[in-house]
Amino acid sequence: MKKLVDVSIPIGPVHPCWKEPVRIKCETSGERVLSAEVELGYMKKGIEKIMRGRPWQEVMFLAERVCGICSVIHNMVFIEAMEEISGISLPPRAAYLRVIVNELDRMQSHLIANFSYCYTIEHETLAMYLLDVREQVLDQLERVTGARINTAYMIPGGVRFDLMEEDSGALRTALREIETGVKRYMKMFSSGPLISLRSRGIAVFSREDAIKARVVGPTARASGIPESDLRSRHPTYIKLGFQPVWREEGDNFARVMVRFDEILQSIDLIQKALDTLPEGDIRGGGICKAGETAYSGEAPRGELRYFIKTDEYGRVVDITIQTPSIMNIEACTHSMLKGVTSLADVTSTFISADPCIACMER
Amino acid sequence: MGYLYEKDLRMMKYHILQSPRHMSLVSRLADDLGMRVPDLQKAMIRRCDMAYLENLPARYETWLEEGDRDDELARAIGRELYTIYVPLLDPDKMQELHLKVKTMADESGSPQEAASAGICMIREEILT
Repeated sequence: MKKLVDVSIPIGPVHPCWKEPVRIKCETSGERVLSAEVELGYMKKGIEKIMRGRPWQEVMFLAERVCGICSVIHNMVFIEAMEEISGISLPPRAAYLRVIVNELDRMQSHLIANFSYCYTIEHETLAMYLLDVREQVLDQLERVTGARINTAYMIPGGVRFDLMEEDSGALRTALREIETGVKRYMKMFSSGPLISLRSRGIAVFSREDAIKARVVGPTARASGIPESDLRSRHPTYIKLGFQPVWREEGDNFARVMVRFDEILQSIDLIQKALDTLPEGDIRGGGICKAGETAYSGEAPRGELRYFIKTDEYGRVVDITIQTPSIMNIEACTHSMLKGVTSLADVTSTFISADPCIACMER
Repeated sequence: MGYLYEKDLRMMKYHILQSPRHMSLVSRLADDLGMRVPDLQKAMIRRCDMAYLENLPARYETWLEEGDRDDELARAIGRELYTIYVPLLDPDKMQELHLKVKTMADESGSPQEAASAGICMIREEILT
């Protein structure tokens, strides 16, 4: 007879499936997870405290160091918040270039998230293919911004570098190649019987629960909340005819597939931006002033919000960063993991929510 | 005796509650409940894990938008606020308190008085 025992199982802080250290304590009955808890504190940076009292020129570089995976969006949201406070307008060409860089960043973030998921469910071949595509995306990020990770591309009133005609052509060619690769690997993922076994119907997160837990990003959109995508309210994205991608299943499979779909959507958005890239300046100039704002942008993992207060010299007096992982990790641990029927699904479910501990602890 | 890998997380949880956004939320909730801020912080540290604590301001905002929409009395006492969004009470216990408050409101004809009495009961429950 199978014996059921109640055990408390700690997973992490150092675990082969985690990209960053975090500890999850699962209370189980046999293999079924009854509840889970998160323990943080292994990589606290205290970056908000470091930012306070510093001029925006320094905070700009600190902001993108909150997270190494989605550094571009931290740069973008901080700069757009400063522009909102100071009433700085943006030349149209710079606005489009920001979208191009932001979407390249989203692609590489989604690719590493899906790589982690495939690695966690032991599909290493697909995982490595995805990492290879991510390298190609990072090369394009470097082509446009001059750096692969911490680009510091956006500044108040513009961007730092223009996109040359020959780079634009090379970017288009690379995007076509990336698209072919992503479509191939997406097909492998969606039609793989073992992947399906490990992903479909696992850790289903209903729309009602998702609203209550205030999940954001692809995790919310996989549970049928398309309105969670803040890009549909961003002026440049509206010009590009942005429509959010979403699914209704709410399981691990849906979360990964939403990210795959968003990669293709990003390629489409970049191509549209390149086609309609306006001529003109890339910097409009402007002086950062005193003020206060709460500004949100759509990071690869969901809504990223900066609460900023500045003085008349453009110094950041107070700053709080609400990252998407705060909401998603909390919802994942307390709702998605609850009731998971196999302990093997704990790691894959956690990874399916694309957790970023660096963002969560800041 | 605890396991070697079990750490005392109280200090780290306290640091999470020290951010300006958390401080303003905790003060607001403490005001609503008529209790001291350190008492509420202590209750939060005892009942919530670190992920809940990090996410408190966002969850509170969600309650403002979505929580207890259908029942004014439930919203006045924060039925879903203190069980789902800021989980400080057991849902069964809150259900019991909500029923009591409802009965009081029906009997006295004053929902405000009943809600104040309900908040007192919630405060006692959080402090125990």
